[in-house]
Amino acid sequence: MSTDAQSGEDAGPEPETAESEGPTMPTPQTETPNYDGEFDAIIVGAGLAGSAAALTLAREDKDVIMLERGNSPGTKNVFGGIMFTPRIRELTDFDDAPKERFVAEKTFSMLSEEGDATEISMQPGAWKEEPHNDSWMVLRGNFDEWFAEQAVEAGATLITETTVTDLVREDGAIAGVETDRPDGQLHAPTVVLAEGANSLVSEGAGLADPQHREDVAVSAKEVRKYDRETIEDRFHLTDEEGAAIHYFGDGAVGDAVGGGFIYTNKRTLSIGVVYSIEDAVHDERTPDEVLDEFKSHPAVAPLIKGGRMIEYSAHAIPEGGPEAMPDLVHDGAVITGDAAGLVLNNGLHLEGTNMAVESGFQAGKAVADALAAGRTDARALADYEDALADSYVMDNLNHYGWFLDTAAEDREFLFDDLPKALADAETEYFRMDDDSKTRHTKSARKRVVSAMGGYLGAAKKAWKYRKLFR
Amino acid sequence: MTDGWNIVVCVKQVPDADEVSIDPETGILNRADAEAVMNSPDYNAVEAALEVRDVVGGTVTAVTMGPASADEVLQVAVGMGADNAVLLTDRAFGGSDTWPTSLALARAAEELDADVVFGGEETTDSSTGQVPPGIAAHNDWAQLTYVEGLEPRPEEDRLVAKRDVEGGYERVAADLPVVVAMEFGENEPRTAGLHRKIYAETDFEPVEWSAADIGVEDEVGLAVSPTQVGGMATAEPVPREQEMVEGVEELADHIVEVL
Repeated sequence: MSTDAQSGEDAGPEPETAESEGPTMPTPQTETPNYDGEFDAIIVGAGLAGSAAALTLAREDKDVIMLERGNSPGTKNVFGGIMFTPRIRELTDFDDAPKERFVAEKTFSMLSEEGDATEISMQPGAWKEEPHNDSWMVLRGNFDEWFAEQAVEAGATLITETTVTDLVREDGAIAGVETDRPDGQLHAPTVVLAEGANSLVSEGAGLADPQHREDVAVSAKEVRKYDRETIEDRFHLTDEEGAAIHYFGDGAVGDAVGGGFIYTNKRTLSIGVVYSIEDAVHDERTPDEVLDEFKSHPAVAPLIKGGRMIEYSAHAIPEGGPEAMPDLVHDGAVITGDAAGLVLNNGLHLEGTNMAVESGFQAGKAVADALAAGRTDARALADYEDALADSYVMDNLNHYGWFLDTAAEDREFLFDDLPKALADAETEYFRMDDDSKTRHTKSARKRVVSAMGGYLGAAKKAWKYRKLFR
Repeated sequence: MTDGWNIVVCVKQVPDADEVSIDPETGILNRADAEAVMNSPDYNAVEAALEVRDVVGGTVTAVTMGPASADEVLQVAVGMGADNAVLLTDRAFGGSDTWPTSLALARAAEELDADVVFGGEETTDSSTGQVPPGIAAHNDWAQLTYVEGLEPRPEEDRLVAKRDVEGGYERVAADLPVVVAMEFGENEPRTAGLHRKIYAETDFEPVEWSAADIGVEDEVGLAVSPTQVGGMATAEPVPREQEMVEGVEELADHIVEVL
């Protein structure tokens, strides 16, 4: 609100006609203009992919409109997690972004159902320096709202509480969207689909196949509030430092393929589980029960004791890898982010936000170029798919795409036998009794090797999972 | 009256009640975190105004008093179908209680040559319910409060209202100009059309009036507001008795027992 506007000489409207003594009368604006063709692009969803596309297009002087179903961007997102920020840092003044903590420490912890835990923890000094390995804990509600605001400041239009229900076609090409509002059709030469994991518009319009349930993960998450000191004491953090802990094994999500996590925010913890819907269907437990069991594991419970739950949510995550991805480019439309299945979850890496931003950015560039060339058919938009294929996004997805299938085959070993064997081995190795250290080591080795199916089995497994570390 | 009625609807920007918390120490509302939204009964007021316009013709003008950012609620009203909007904005209005607020709105309604002025029955952030009657009092106009339904009679220059009264309702006819306070939830506020919503939030701009524009610069603000808050206290919620029952039948037995 500008105070200047009200203090100067010309504050207040001047009478327009000589005969009227009073203030300027409003003129009726009863006619509603028609906005068909007024925008160069319609963006479906104002999440990370949508806002990145809108921001990129607006910077290219294109008129874009984002249609968001929530009452503000980010409200439909379940993600209290790590935001990987290389592209966002380039696109925005990232210092102003609402961030929680940077990832100063990453821990992988293997939990057995019996209560054992084996952890590897890393905190490279480089992570504590700018730009902090581009890994920040954020709360999506705040972050997405800010990111969408950057697009609006660059000239994009954001319309909330508006759900896109279908696509409009003309001569086979996509020419606009249908929304849940009265007078709800809007026509534009291009549509960027950034609707998220639950990609009902893309599926309904025949651009993507309904997802197979083995390609979708379910995530249940809660955010708990604590004193800042409690969080910093428990996780040994100072200032903006944060910890990300990933949990595996049947102590995390039972027999399912998946895992649990704890992320530290400023004054809250994000605690959650992610596992495949295929497993969820066969599991007698509901996602919130799986989350509760994870929270009560002896290695987890002390970290999250107390506090107050301020948010609980469940969400779908696509993780079908490259084979499950829909065609990204169509006549008049492109698909980005989660809706395009651009999520990487292989145990070591759990990434989606960075690829959402990257795909939105590449889509925005390709759409701007196509518009400038006056063509919006699939061939004109193909640069988007090519740019993505050349980027780390497809490289990573292809490289690790095999992991989930392999993990599913080996679930018994990976999530049940291995955590138990490791814990047994540690018990043996560090056992305080009358036996010699050599004996302990031998006994410990035996436990692990036998869980792996002997030395031959261990070699086979090492070969099988070699790509994970390359 | 061939060209219909001049209908004015007063709306207010309030903090979203779902997001407001109360500081347990001071008892003061913590509005900072809450998003600013349109007062919920005002949706019913806008809908009623549009319904009357649909019957008798004329225009609906939305009016609000507040900082420049309050134009968001005018956008909501215009999105729903209001024809135009006026934003009363001036530092002189700051600190006004219901007396000067209703005076400013009354003067604005007079300027707009209003036949009917609508408001919500009360606001969710102060709940006085005093502003619509205040507008009527300042202008010496008729008033219809706690209104459930309306029946315009343009040929008689009258508005007939069904009013909520203890134990039932009454039907009252008022001569124009008249101030109507709509009860919350008595009609189904319409959803803004997509193109109208885009227009309201992008190209539409309300007219801005200062206190001097409506001649109230010396009659508004904190100094002339008779209300003073003496203190705040928060009430502890009374614990409710709870009991878990096994099934529907047991629940039914319990209910029968109590009855």
